[in-house]
Amino acid sequence: MGYTITEKILARVSGKEFVKAGDEVMAKPDYVIAYDFPGYTDVYFKQMKEDFGIERVAEPDRYAIFIDHMVPAATPKEEELHIGTRTWCAENGVALYERKGIGHQVAAEVGYAVPGAFVVHFDGHISQLGTFGTLAMGIRRNLLEAFVRERISIKVPQTVRVNLRGTLQKGVMARDVFHHLVRTLGPASCRFQVLEVGGPALSQISTEGLQTITGLAMFTGAVTAIVNPDEERLAYALPRAKKKIEPVWSDPDAEYSAVHDLDLTDLEPLVVIPPTPANSRNLSEYLGIEINAGYLGSCASGRLEDLRVAAKVLQGRQVKAGFQLNVVPTSQEIMAAAGREGLLSTLVEAGAFVSSPSCDYCFGRIATMSANQRAVSTGTLNVRGRMGSPDSEIYLCNAATVAASAIEGAIADPRKYL
Amino acid sequence: MALKPLRGRVAFVFDEENFDVDQIVGVKNIKITDVDELAKVAMLSYDPDFHGKVKPGDVIVGAHNFGYGHPHYPPMRAMRHLGVTGVIAESFSPGYWRGEISMGFPQASCPGILSLVDRWDEIEVDWDANLVRNLTKGTSLPMEPLSYADREMLDAGGLVPYLKRPIAAV
Repeated sequence: MGYTITEKILARVSGKEFVKAGDEVMAKPDYVIAYDFPGYTDVYFKQMKEDFGIERVAEPDRYAIFIDHMVPAATPKEEELHIGTRTWCAENGVALYERKGIGHQVAAEVGYAVPGAFVVHFDGHISQLGTFGTLAMGIRRNLLEAFVRERISIKVPQTVRVNLRGTLQKGVMARDVFHHLVRTLGPASCRFQVLEVGGPALSQISTEGLQTITGLAMFTGAVTAIVNPDEERLAYALPRAKKKIEPVWSDPDAEYSAVHDLDLTDLEPLVVIPPTPANSRNLSEYLGIEINAGYLGSCASGRLEDLRVAAKVLQGRQVKAGFQLNVVPTSQEIMAAAGREGLLSTLVEAGAFVSSPSCDYCFGRIATMSANQRAVSTGTLNVRGRMGSPDSEIYLCNAATVAASAIEGAIADPRKYL
Repeated sequence: MALKPLRGRVAFVFDEENFDVDQIVGVKNIKITDVDELAKVAMLSYDPDFHGKVKPGDVIVGAHNFGYGHPHYPPMRAMRHLGVTGVIAESFSPGYWRGEISMGFPQASCPGILSLVDRWDEIEVDWDANLVRNLTKGTSLPMEPLSYADREMLDAGGLVPYLKRPIAAV
């Protein structure tokens, strides 16, 4: 009887020869990651001292803090939060990554996506480290446990295996694959389980595309997503890895709670209509809906392939007058690469507003929408009020669709521009 | 360790699947921090008289994948302030579940709960027998057992008191 990659990772970090889904273990995360946010990090730092009498974390190399929300600060209070974070990191000897980009992406760039590692965060989108065979979970406020104890309590999750098959068509991107998965399997299909993505069509999806798919796993109910790392993912992750861990892979006879095949051949670009990430629809059913704003960015999208496709759509064309297109590369590394490729100048010349990396567009802190406005977005979420007024609307779609819609001022099919 | 049974009336049934709990207070109120203010706006769009009807000890019932979306803490802070002592649903979304258990707020996963109860029935959640009993109708259904850590956390009254306890050998 074999084991899943998840079971193998959790066996190692709980000091056991093997564990099976359903076992409750005390596991030592290889890395504990957080971004500074009111009610989370400031509270952990305070509770560590005041409730638990802990002045310093015991192994500072296991911790990493990112400043990616409220960047740049818009109020003195926001800057005070950042000052508190910088001070805590300096006192504790903990690595701080500020203004490098969205933490979930930067974590992979700087080497926390170690294949075979176990990583925890309070935010579930950290699941995208699963692209590299890292088991990365968002555990909300329970992250405090990882600040005050060496080990955290965890129930070994079951795994749902999804095999991607077929051939992706032009204009169809990783986002569409994920939203198709939610539509086909359902928004509760992986509840409390790990989504393990594999299958022959995986070779058609880039590393960036896999970061998109694994990063959105929570909308299937999954606690995280993971991919058995192939040569391409290892070639990215191993040279950057912060520590040496033997990569692991699911055994051929691993036990899954369910195995699904997802054929991509007939898949069209999708749109996720408001107000829930469960509402995947064919883009063709929603063409022509008037749109005021577009957001290309976030930890889910905003990487080089997204910027490339948007630049291709917008090359020699113009964003419709009055339409607000915000393009926010996911990290500084990506932004610099996009600059070298000339993508940023193409986007700017087409009328896009290009901003440095920040999480703030995704949750409406800036570029805030007012009532009755509508956006197309590659952000993570389309719930009411996510990008401003509860009476504004968000249509989630791929980067090409955002760019095409910016040209027409309405939901548009990008395939005619590609 | 005995976790005290929940016993109370079903103050409301949310029969919508994938229910986004932020709707309880309304997204426009999600940033309110004062719990009295939050409680005032809670449930207005579901039952404007809810405040007059609910009483301490009541519970609420939900459908499949309760808490889906991007759940925030204020809605359930408001419900607790109004006296609600727990949530029983067909099933839960994990992010919501983890968040509320860490607040020490009892959650019970009971497949079939929507057909077991009607609004205002008196029900009991028996954590030891893993049963939800409808005391009004004299019926019952099994529920999914809590994990050891979740049970400890509820028994301790939330994440911080749980973490202050000695580490249990698992």
